[in-house]
Amino acid sequence: MDTALVAIVSTGAIGGVLGVVIGVVAKAFAVETDERIERVGELLPGANCGGCGFAGCADFAKAVVGARALPGQCPVCSPDDVRNISQYLGIEAEQKEKRVAVVRCSGDCANTVRTLYNGIRDCRSAVVVAGGAKGCDHGCLGFGSCANACPFGAIEIRDGLAVVHPELCVGCENCVATCPKNLIVMVQASVDVHVYCNSPEKGAAKRLVCKTACIACRKCVKAGEEGQMVVDGFLVRTNYENPPTTDLVEKSQCPTSALRLASKHAANEYQGAAK
Amino acid sequence: MLSEFLVITVGAILVNNFVLSKFLGICPFLGVSKKLDTALGMSGAVVFVMTLASLVASLVNRFLLVPMKLEFLQTLVFIVVIAALVQLVEIILQKVSAKLYESLGIFLPLITTNCAVLGCVVLNAKSAPGSVQSTWYGATIYGFCSAVGFALALVLFSSLREKLDLARVPKAFEGTAISLITAGILAMAFLGFSGLV
Amino acid sequence: MNEKPRKFKGGVHPDDSKALSASKPIQDAPLLEKYTVIMHQNIGAPPELVVKKGDAVKKGALLAKATGFVSVPLHAPTSGIVSAIDKCPGPTGLAIPAIEITADGSDEWGSPFEPIADWRQCPPAELRQRVADAGVVGMGGAGFPSHVKLSPPPGKEIDTLILNGAECEPYLTADHRLMLEQAEEVVVGAAIIARIIGLDTAIIGVEDNKPDAIAALEAVAGRYNVRVQALPVNYPQGAEKQLIYAITGREVPVGKLPMDVKCVVQNVASAVAVADAVVRGRPSIERVTTITGKPVVRPGNWRLRIGTPIAKALELAGGISEQPAKLLLGGPMMGIAQRSLGVTVMKNTSGILLIAGDEVSLYTSEPCIRCGRCVEVCPMSILPATISQAVENKRFDWAQQLNVTACIECGSCSYVCPSHRPLNQHFKWAKVEIQSKLRKK
Repeated sequence: MDTALVAIVSTGAIGGVLGVVIGVVAKAFAVETDERIERVGELLPGANCGGCGFAGCADFAKAVVGARALPGQCPVCSPDDVRNISQYLGIEAEQKEKRVAVVRCSGDCANTVRTLYNGIRDCRSAVVVAGGAKGCDHGCLGFGSCANACPFGAIEIRDGLAVVHPELCVGCENCVATCPKNLIVMVQASVDVHVYCNSPEKGAAKRLVCKTACIACRKCVKAGEEGQMVVDGFLVRTNYENPPTTDLVEKSQCPTSALRLASKHAANEYQGAAK
Repeated sequence: MLSEFLVITVGAILVNNFVLSKFLGICPFLGVSKKLDTALGMSGAVVFVMTLASLVASLVNRFLLVPMKLEFLQTLVFIVVIAALVQLVEIILQKVSAKLYESLGIFLPLITTNCAVLGCVVLNAKSAPGSVQSTWYGATIYGFCSAVGFALALVLFSSLREKLDLARVPKAFEGTAISLITAGILAMAFLGFSGLV
Repeated sequence: MNEKPRKFKGGVHPDDSKALSASKPIQDAPLLEKYTVIMHQNIGAPPELVVKKGDAVKKGALLAKATGFVSVPLHAPTSGIVSAIDKCPGPTGLAIPAIEITADGSDEWGSPFEPIADWRQCPPAELRQRVADAGVVGMGGAGFPSHVKLSPPPGKEIDTLILNGAECEPYLTADHRLMLEQAEEVVVGAAIIARIIGLDTAIIGVEDNKPDAIAALEAVAGRYNVRVQALPVNYPQGAEKQLIYAITGREVPVGKLPMDVKCVVQNVASAVAVADAVVRGRPSIERVTTITGKPVVRPGNWRLRIGTPIAKALELAGGISEQPAKLLLGGPMMGIAQRSLGVTVMKNTSGILLIAGDEVSLYTSEPCIRCGRCVEVCPMSILPATISQAVENKRFDWAQQLNVTACIECGSCSYVCPSHRPLNQHFKWAKVEIQSKLRKK
């Protein structure tokens, strides 16, 4: 009985003394922290993709609380997430449209001229050797540097061509800088019509090396409304300020099928040139 | 006297290495050995906490538990003491050196529940009465040397793991599997020290 | 007279195949209808166009002027009309701007420069300016502007001028023939370059598998106070740093230039271009190129004008007897593989090499077996095996730590690797990634 009592009392005493010491020290060495940072961090997706330009979600949370960044800068957050964070911090929620990546090339192995290449299977490395093995200087090399950089598995390498799956893409932009051919651009997710070619060469030169190059025939320009498609040298591009409707692809009958819907392109519904 | 210290030092660092022959502290050994930088941070933290814990625990044992015949409370009290100590260190570090606090990060709270630290102080308390290890300074040296042994194993292992990054590992052995195999081989290598003291 | 040259560490001995073209005298290529002069032929800033489409130009007239110090001008290879300014496949495979000249057949000189016959009296600054104006670049392969090498910054003392006649690349014999047939010009060029950098002597390093060239040079070298140094055959003997070590025993530290060890190295073909520019007043518009390889009907050495399409050059050599598997500009070790015949001869095109299908093998790269052969042969004493593994795992930081930037891309490691690992490509890649990371900062 005695022993038990002594044990309880002494253990309690040790605990109590240590507790008091910790309490005193904690008071003496208190550091100001902002609990909002933690809360915002919880509301963020936690993917740590770095798409916002900060070193991970925790760093971004700090920046948002410190008013150095807006919640909308997170490319992964859905509009709901952004609203939640804004409400929590009591700041104005800005409108944010989802953006997705587009690889502006449709030249898969079946449709392009390629030279035998037996080197390292990485675009950034292949481009050092004779500019890559593709006949087209500007086309996708298809070794998947962008796919490796994508933390969300939204880029598929299909028959030597990088294809973005818009429904998986969250718009973190990690892939954009990895492409040695600068083929990847970020566009509004609401636009589905894109020209899958980025070669500024002349139409005839392009057709020599690629069956699905944009030859700037302007069929799509004429089929659509004024200003929906813009001509840029030997290349037509979607005007993302004034995007065309999805039926343009059907209407224009692109002879090389360079004009595609991102959704159908991802689903592999184009089989190369019409002619 | 001096020879006894030498025996403690060599014994704790090489022969009876905490990780590789006593198999204590395996969790941080595997958890924070991916990069040499973090391994060094963890090693620093462990050396600091283990030395301090050995000193404080041996004092508590000698002047509190033994006189009051409460040796059966050793495990309980030691855990409380270590936890409180780590907590104190953490609070003070955060204020005094925010940089060090951030680089140690999660490691400090991890040490609270590290069996290596508890094992060290329990071994001190259980050492033969009258031996060097049972004195407060002997216990401190033992704690320090054990921690250095832990640091040595951790740094060696993390260097190996950095090299492992470059190796082509068969699919089935990727990740933790190959790390455990490596750890096993490292432990076998340390067996070579047995019989030194 | 000859000191015993030192042997640098490492190196390989590939089959040199020089017999294909070594005995063929240099032939002048006939005038072609069209030349396509690639705009950017030098390391450094590209020159700026001074002609426009439709302009009539005389041979040797300025087509593009240098922009800045590390840049060289371009001159017309023949007289004619500027018929197009368009893109043309460059040596790296990417299209770059080029000037197309349609020849008028008269091949009339525009005489842009006054010949300087008494160059021994001419002030060095004037000679240096002439080298710059004539657009002379390192013709061994790198294409580094010569006048930049000849302008050591104040405080850098130069005590040795080395002319690089090693020609260690297999297959190539252009420099060999040049030294044999134009020994006097080589030596005069050496003497002029020596005068520009304030020396009165020069050393010409030649691999000892070219005894006839050594004899020809030695016959005239004494008159100009130039020494010929025979060097043992060991690839890459002709690499700048290895050459300096073999001749002077000085090692160029990592990240430093030859001038940091008081040396200047120039290619023998560049020396001839310098002599041409000074003594005859001619800009750099032609070079000797070896056209060789098993599929070539008549391998040999031709004096080609800058801008000659590769396809036309191959016609000169009698065309091809079988479908080649590989086309390289330069030698087999460091030459750049091409994927089209559209490339044209540039100032640094030392060779056009075709490799037949039965001479190449398609290997798959296997894991490194750590045999260490690459480490043994690496003339720069870096660790190719480890670096390549780091690069394979995208650890460019590690590669940088292991001094991948010291690599001279000689290809010796890839040559000996029993696992057929693309070591050289790993290093090129790592350098590009390290460069782009530096630029971002």
